[in-house]
This record gives sequence, structure tokens and C-alpha cells, in this order.
Amino acid sequence: MTLLSVQDLKLEYDGRIILDGVSFDLAQGELKVIMGPSGSGKSTLLRCLNRLATPTGGRVVFEGRDVLGPGVDERALRQRIGFVFQNFALYRHLTALQNVTLALRHLRRMPAAEADERALRQLARMDMQAHAHKYPAQLSGGQKQRVAIARALAMDPAVLFFDEPTSALDPLMSREVVNILHQLRDERVSMLCVTHDLYLARAAGGRVMFLDEGRIHAEGEVDELFGPNADPRVRAFFHQELRQAQTAPPIDVAQPMDQAQPAGPSGPAGLAER
Amino acid sequence: MSFLQILLQLAGGVGYTIMVTVACSLTGVVVGLGVAMLSRIGPPWLRGLLGAFTFIFRAVPVLVLLFIVFFGLPNAGLRVPPLVAMMLSLGVIAGAYLAEVFRGAFDSVDASEVLAAEAMGLSRFQILRLIEIPQMLRFAVPGMINEFTTVLKYSPFAYTVGIPDVMKEAMSLSATTLRGVEIYLAVGIIYFLIYKLLVTGVWALEKRTRIPGLTG
Repeated sequence: MTLLSVQDLKLEYDGRIILDGVSFDLAQGELKVIMGPSGSGKSTLLRCLNRLATPTGGRVVFEGRDVLGPGVDERALRQRIGFVFQNFALYRHLTALQNVTLALRHLRRMPAAEADERALRQLARMDMQAHAHKYPAQLSGGQKQRVAIARALAMDPAVLFFDEPTSALDPLMSREVVNILHQLRDERVSMLCVTHDLYLARAAGGRVMFLDEGRIHAEGEVDELFGPNADPRVRAFFHQELRQAQTAPPIDVAQPMDQAQPAGPSGPAGLAER
Repeated sequence: MSFLQILLQLAGGVGYTIMVTVACSLTGVVVGLGVAMLSRIGPPWLRGLLGAFTFIFRAVPVLVLLFIVFFGLPNAGLRVPPLVAMMLSLGVIAGAYLAEVFRGAFDSVDASEVLAAEAMGLSRFQILRLIEIPQMLRFAVPGMINEFTTVLKYSPFAYTVGIPDVMKEAMSLSATTLRGVEIYLAVGIIYFLIYKLLVTGVWALEKRTRIPGLTG
């Protein structure tokens, strides 16, 4: 059964064509990967589907309803779609548990005890229940990503969108994300994942679409897409990514991610002087 | 009359000084928060209007606005009690400055968190209330302390509209004893102590609500 159907989706911004007629279907319980170089329109594509961005043409049908038409309840639509961001986007002033309960409390109007119980179940599903009361700054990159996924799952969405889920993670932690994708796929969670990470695209094990310059140039199983008869664009991208991987400095997998990140703002800018 | 007696005599006005400072600071927080919030989520024309408000009220001298409110409004048939006049002048001017402090602090909230909240299906107002304001207020503490201190130091203007604060006590005392230097030295010490109390109080509150990794 088709859950999401995208037909000839177009987006033009400032005279630039970002999406140039993208079409694909996502079936119930399917995992699909959209791969492509930076600037190919991958993230924008996801954002058009939950109306964080407004396409200039095409049709998106989600759960049998036209998503782009007038009179669509955007907030209700977004509650049906779990979104996982590349930089985790956890709320830094809330604990892991509070991050997961937020939508349950304020969108579902669930009593605190019930929301906590449900959130703890989702955190346990991501093996994060032991860290429920920690703040984002006290978690490693991979742990933050697990909380972000638990948060997205808490509302029982019809589909999960992943926007570059491994780009802020080191290889060891990227493997964790792949394991989670496999776990969720086995639980028949519908997922759409955009990435430029070749490792993720191959290891996720879903059907892969190759997006470049706002168009899907190739689609297939991993082996077809990366095999000897690969599309020249895919091959060029593949070689470029491989070269970058070879010239990149080695990554110290023992170091937690958040130690490598710059500290957050310690105070406001723009204090007025009298 | 010993220095200690002078201090004790002046202490009678401390309550009024604190009352004026707290009332004007709170007015400033309410005005500043309102302006900063509306500029963040309001339509462009409202933003322009609020920008003009902060621009103008940061430019007007406190004493000028105080006299306009206290002596001018009665001409228009509005009698304004002294404390309210202070709140409408010093308090509103503090609000214009705090609006800028809050604007800067709002800009320190990570845009990706706001986007994530939008993607979750929260309304713009919910995002403001649940994500942005709780973080913003923590970022704004140093700027708020600055502003509260300024309000404290402008509070002596209260004596010009008849509030018997520390300054008023000092002026009467100085007129009867002619020991101006000692008296105003004592006034300085009293203001320093109030300042110390204020700063300690705000930082204690900040420490109690501190979140690991969010601020310093």
C-alpha cells in the first residue's frame, strides 16, 4: 500500500531551480534512501513533504490526502511525520525525557505520568532509558541521535524522515544509526532517509534513489545502483566521495562527539550600552 | 551625630529605594518581554513600530520623561501617583533597553531547535513559550543585571516627585546638619549594599535554574 506519493515535485527559489520534477512512491513499511551530493535538493525535498518549504509545482499525496492543496492542516500533517535532523536539534534546556514528552504533553495533551511512561518506552526502544534525565550537553553524538529518534517516534508517526542522520557522527556512531534503521525496518516503520553518506546509503539496505541538480537520475536496489552498469553521475559522485574519504584525516572514534563541537553561546549578543 | 547614626537615619529611605527599583525593573521586564516577543513573531509593520518605540525611549532622558508624565499628564486630566510615574518613565525606558537585551538573547537560541519544533507540529506561540523563552531568559541574565543596576542608579529621581527614598532622606539630613560629605558617602555605601544584594539575588536565581551545557 502506498503511504506517500510524490509526483513531479518542483521548487524554484530566486530564479534557481531546486527541485526539477521529482517523483517517487513510498510504500507502507518501506525504507527508501535518497542519496545525492550536497546542494542536490535532498533536504529541501523532505521539507516540501511536511510543508516546511512550499513547492512551486507538483503533487504530494500522503495517507490518501493531497498535502499541498489549500485548507490542509499543516500542524496536523507534521504530527503524522517524525523528523530527525542531522544536528539532532534536541531542545538544550530539556532533559532527554522532556524532549520526548514535549509533543505528547502539549500536542496530545497527555497527563504527565502517561507521557513519561510512553516516552520512557520509546527511550528504552532506543536503549537510552538509563540516560532519560540527562541534558543534551551530557550526551554523546550517537546518544543525542537516539534521543532525537525516540522523540520522533513518540507521536506514533506514519513515517519517519531522516535528514542526513550520520553527517554529524563519526564512523562508529554512523554504524549505530544504521543498526537503528535496520531495527526500525524490521518493526515495519516507514522511513525516508536523505543522505550524502555512501556508507549509510549502502548499509541501510533499502531502495536507493540518486538525486542530483533537483532530479532523480537513478533508482534501484543498492547493488544495481552501485554495480558495473551504474549511471555515470552516480559513478562520478561515488568516486568523488571515495577520494574525499581517502584524503580526509583519520577520525578518532574514541573521542565523544560533543567534545569536538564548539561550546554554545554563553550570553546574548547585542547588549545595549547606555 | 556619628556616621553610624547617619546611616541609620538614611536607612529609613532604603525601603522606598528598593520599592522603586523593583517596581521599575519589573515594569521593564514586562515591557521588554512584550516588545521582544511581538517583534519576533509579529508582522513586519508591527516590528517597525516596536523598533521606533525602542529607538525613541532609549533616547529620552529619564528625568524628562518623568516630568512629562508626572507634571504633564495631570494637565490632560490624568493624575499619576509618584510610583506609577516612575514606572511609566524609568520602567518603560528600562523596557526599551531590555527589549534589546532580549532580542539579542532570542537570537542565541539555536535556529535548528525552532525548526525541529515546527516540524513537530507546535504552533508559533507554543514554540515561543516552550522552547525560545526558557532558553532566552537564561541567556539574558547578564544583560538583565546590567539593566537592573542602571534602574537602581536612576531611582534617586524618585525624590523629585516626592517619594521619600534614600536620596530624599539624605537631602533633608544634609540641609539640617550641613554634613554633606559624610552623608553622601553614607548614601554611596547604601547604594553599593543594595547593588550587591540585587546582583547576588539574581545570580543565585540563575544558578538554581542553570542547565548543564546551556550557559557558561
